[in-house]
Order: sequence, then C-alpha cells, then structure tokens
Amino acid sequence: MALSLAGSKIRVLLMEAGGINFDPTIQKMYSGTETGTRYAPLDAGRLRQLGGGTNHWGGWCRPMDAIEFEARDWVPHSGWPFSRLTLEPYYSRAQALVEAGPWIYDLKGNADNAAEGTVLPLNGGGLYTSWFQFSKMRGDILPTQFGNRYRDDLKRAPNINSLLHANVTAIRLGANSKQVERLDVATLNSHGGAGKHFTVKPRMVVLACGGIENARLLLASNDVMKTGVGNQNDLVGRFFADNPIPRDIATVVSFSGPLAPFYGANQNLSDGTIMRATFAPTAKFCRAARIGSSLSTIETPVELDETGKAAVITTAIALGVDASNAKAYSLGCGMELMPDPDRRLTLSGDKDALGLPRLKLDMRIADDDFARFNRTMTELGRQLLASKAGMLRISCHTRDDWMTRMDWGHHHLGTTRMSADPKQGVVDGDLLVHGVGNLYIAGSGTFPSYSASNPTLNLVALTLRLGDHLKKVMA
Amino acid sequence: MKRRAIIAGVAAVGAAAAMGLYRFTDLFVKHYPPTPYDDLLLQLVDRQQASRLGARLAGAPDAGTLAAQLRAGLKPGELGAAAKADAAAGRVMEVDGWVLPKTVAFLSALASKV
Ligand SMILES: Cc1cc2nc3c(=O)[nH]c(=O)nc-3n(C[C@H](O)[C@H](O)[C@H](O)COP(=O)(O)OP(=O)(O)OC[C@H]3O[C@@H](n4cnc5c(N)ncnc54)[C@H](O)[C@@H]3O)c2cc1C
Repeated sequence: MALSLAGSKIRVLLMEAGGINFDPTIQKMYSGTETGTRYAPLDAGRLRQLGGGTNHWGGWCRPMDAIEFEARDWVPHSGWPFSRLTLEPYYSRAQALVEAGPWIYDLKGNADNAAEGTVLPLNGGGLYTSWFQFSKMRGDILPTQFGNRYRDDLKRAPNINSLLHANVTAIRLGANSKQVERLDVATLNSHGGAGKHFTVKPRMVVLACGGIENARLLLASNDVMKTGVGNQNDLVGRFFADNPIPRDIATVVSFSGPLAPFYGANQNLSDGTIMRATFAPTAKFCRAARIGSSLSTIETPVELDETGKAAVITTAIALGVDASNAKAYSLGCGMELMPDPDRRLTLSGDKDALGLPRLKLDMRIADDDFARFNRTMTELGRQLLASKAGMLRISCHTRDDWMTRMDWGHHHLGTTRMSADPKQGVVDGDLLVHGVGNLYIAGSGTFPSYSASNPTLNLVALTLRLGDHLKKVMA
Repeated sequence: MKRRAIIAGVAAVGAAAAMGLYRFTDLFVKHYPPTPYDDLLLQLVDRQQASRLGARLAGAPDAGTLAAQLRAGLKPGELGAAAKADAAAGRVMEVDGWVLPKTVAFLSALASKV
C-alpha cells in the first residue's frame, strides 16, 4: 500500500505493529479463541512483523477468474461491485511486486510447457489444466518476503515515514461519526506490557492489518459507533472465509504412465519463471453444475490397494487402453467456500497487553461445500475416462473424511466485505468504509465472494488500484 | 471375442503383471463355470479383477436386475464403446470412490454375484 504512494505528493505514515524480525511477544497480540470447525489458531496463520504473512507465505500466485467477480445466483451473497476488467490494469504491477516473472498463467502456460511434457487431454469438459506461477525473491529466495524485499524502497521514498513497533489500538471517529479524527497508537515495553502511547491525526487512513485484524480494530473502536466503526449493518467480522486446502482428497491414475513433471512439482522455465499445473473448472461448468471454484493439484505418487488395482485393470481393459505403465497420484485441492454470514469474528472478553479485546472465531464449513467440490471431482473422473487418459477415485465421502485431511490456506477473506450497497458491504467499490469519509480498507478481507486462487496477487492488484484512487482524491 | 478386445486384454494382463498382481500361473487363460450371464461376462477379460471391484458397489441390485439392465444397452463385444459412450454422456457412478462408466460398474457388480 505504502509503496503504491511512493514518490507521490501524499505524505505517508506507515505504522507497523511488529519489527523487522519475528518476536513471540509481539506475535501473542494476535492470539484469540476459535469455536466450531477445527481451524488454525488465530496467532498461527499470520505474522505480526514488517511484511506480515509474506514472511511465511508459499508464493503461489494465480489471478482470480472473471466468473468469481460475478453475482452467481447459486453462490449466496456473491458478486463484486466491479468485474475483473477493473483489476486487469493492476495485475501486471502486482505480478512485478510479487516477483512471479512474466505474466504467463493460462495465456501461454500450455504452449510453454508442452516441450516439458504433455498436458492431460481432458476432452474439453468441465475442467482444464490451468497454471500457478510462483513468487521468487531476488537472489533465488522463495518467495518474496515483502518486509525484507521492500524495506529499503520504503526508506528511500521521501514521502514515506515508517514506524515499527507502532500498534494502532483504536480508530477514533469525530462526534458526527463521519470522519476518523485520530488513531490511538501504542508500543509494547520490553516485558510485553504497555509502553508509550501517542495519537496520530491523519487526513486519510488505510487499514491494512490483514483480514482478521482489520475487523478487530473496527469492532473494538466502539466509543462513538457502539457496534464498531463501519458496523452499522452488523457486517464487520461476518462472512469470514479461508480456502480449505485438504490433502489427498482423490487419487488420479494416468493410464499411460507418469504425468508430465509440471503436474506434481514446480517447474522452472528457462527464463526463471516457476510454474505448476492445476485442474480448474471452466466458467461454463461452474454455471452448469452450480459449483464454487476449486484448484486441484497433483501431490505425490501413491500405491493402489487391491480394489484400486482391480478398478484400473477392469476399466482399462473395458476402454481398450494399455495401462501397463499406469501411475497413481494423490490429489490435493484448494476450494472456494460459499459466503456464510455466521462464519464470523466477534470480540471476546479477553484483552491483549494493550487493552484491545481479543477475537473469537466461529468457524464453519458446510457439507454443501464438500458436496459441490465432489461434483467437480466426478466431472474430472468422467473427463479422464472419456479421453481414455486415466481415472479418478474420490476419497472423501463423510465430514470425517474431509476433516482428517483438512488444512487451511490462511487466506483471511470476507470480514470487511465490499459492496456498493451499504447494507451488503462494509466498504464500497473504492474500498472506502461506508459512512466514514476518510477510512479505507486494503486486503483480502474486502473480497465479498472468494475464489480458489490464492489471494495475495489479487489483493496486491486491488491495493494498487486503491493507491491510484487515493492519489486522485487527495490531489 | 473381437481382435480389439483381445489386444486390450493382453495389454491389461501386461499391466497387471507390471503392477505385481499376477503370479506366473495367472497368465494362463482362466476358465469359469458356466452362468446364466455368460453373454455379458464374456466381455470381461479378467473376471476376477472385475469381481473384486464389483463387490464394492454399494447397494447393487441382484444379478438378474443387473443383467437385464446391461442387456438393454450392451451389445456383444461392445464393452469399449459402451464404456466410452457412458463417459461421454455422464453416465458414471462411484464404486469404492472410483468414478466408473456405469456399464463397467454394473458388469463388475454382476461378476461379483456369480
Ligand atoms: C503459511 C501461509 C502460507 C501462505 N501462502 C500463500 C500463498 O502461497 N499464496 C498466497 O497468495 N497467499 C498465501 N498466504 C496468505 C498471505 O500471507 C496473505 O494473503 C498476505 O500476507 C495478506 O497480506 P496483508 O498485507 O493483507 O495482511 P498481513 O500479511 O497479515 O499484514 C498485516 C500487517 O499489519 C500489521 N498489523 C497488524 N495489526 C496491526 C496494528 N494494530 N497496528 C499496526 N500494524 C498492525 C502486521 O504486523 C502485518 O505486518 C499464506 C499465508 C500463510 C500463513
């Protein structure tokens, strides 16, 4: 966010709660409680230090698909206030910032990788081979850690002042509740207790504390607006989402032998770009089958049990295919959850060292989310059969099957959702908090409906757009 | 049996051997006692494997019902075409989680019941 304003006429104060390095005392400020579906502890899936979550992210990048911006009648509460076209101009800059190489993805992915192996023929059905690219920091460090990488750029920018160890503890509205008047800021002392306090009087504020912490600050800043800043319609903290990334949810068999290496591992192209193939549903299939998005990725080779071997032998014979070199792999996935207002963050009675109420997450995942994904797997299985390329086994049929394999992307989505309608969203299409004239929110918490694509590339594009907007309104 | 089916069968035996499924003696042609469904079961090159698979079809109808349904759609020597047509038309079903052409699933279930 700050870098998008570097060199502009806007004077920027960047307040960062953490330091350059990880500090467990500072990290503790993030802890909270979780109920419902088992989920990562609130202090585990994010990092309170310069660069935030990018200090431990995986670097998987993929732009969201156009359909994911649409209001999909089978996805409740879905739809962004604008289409993907609005973000298009920002993707190339976002791609440069995450250092994922030239923009290849699905444009050239197939062609570029053809030399390295064959893309599975899927007969033009509901899924196709799509591509991830990977963030790669200079000097071959994977992936780009924003704090390390851009610290010097921040220092060099004459209009940016960075304060480390500066925890914003409250957003203070003016009496009319229409403007942020000041921010309360505090440091931690060397024992992890309250240190210095000061206030900042900004012209404009951008909250960019991550999808969980943004909601916490809004809810906790409740002296003027009793339900919290921007929470006049009880939306802040609701619609929390993440991408479930369960492992080994299916087995894929390739009749002809090993799959091309780019399916099961990252592939380094000669220009340094790193890519990996994934199975994505087409927009047409999403509409027809009324499914959410997903990205299913080959994991590791697996041995088949006796039933599995019988399935491969019987099916290959029936299809008239030579399966003498057949190879089986486990498949993992990243899923898009359906938006759910009751999957939510609220304030708990506990307070952190600076007196800020901690959060409680009520996590849920619907059986229907799993059922929709299995429809996607059935289609992939059907396509493999129809193209005589292989076959697929669906491994998860009960909630327990899913939950024993469950992992999460730590993609914090939805808690300050975007909508042109103040009754449906916390921020408008420009990321301005409804009803507050000088408070913006950046990050994936503003995504009103989600995607299976990892959020960072997309949230960076959205943030760059916000940077341009601020330059305009503050000119 | 048509030539194509035989070739497929040989390849499949090769596949099975490669996967370590067969003992040496298994490579000889198997003989099964006659059943009322041999017109259908003859299309399975490896009835034993199909039976192992078919036994996992949850809630499978009885052999008579399965045979009647199969005979309605499966012409002699046309298992490959039927399986492909099933996949193309979305007539797939799960057996032990495996997504199979319906004809293959039913024929395997029939094999497990005789
Ligand atoms: C293990 C893991 C793997 C991941 N892998 C991927 C991946 O492969 N691809 C992908 O796209 N995404 C991935 N992510 C998600 C990615 O890390 C986030 O999307 C990204 O970091 C979000 O950026 P952000 O700036 O919005 O929030 P954050 O990264 O959370 O940054 C928020 C910043 O605000 C600071 N802050 C918080 N509270 C305050 C306060 N009160 N006052 C002042 N400052 C404050 C924090 O210290 C932090 O620096 C992963 C996340 C995890 C945990």
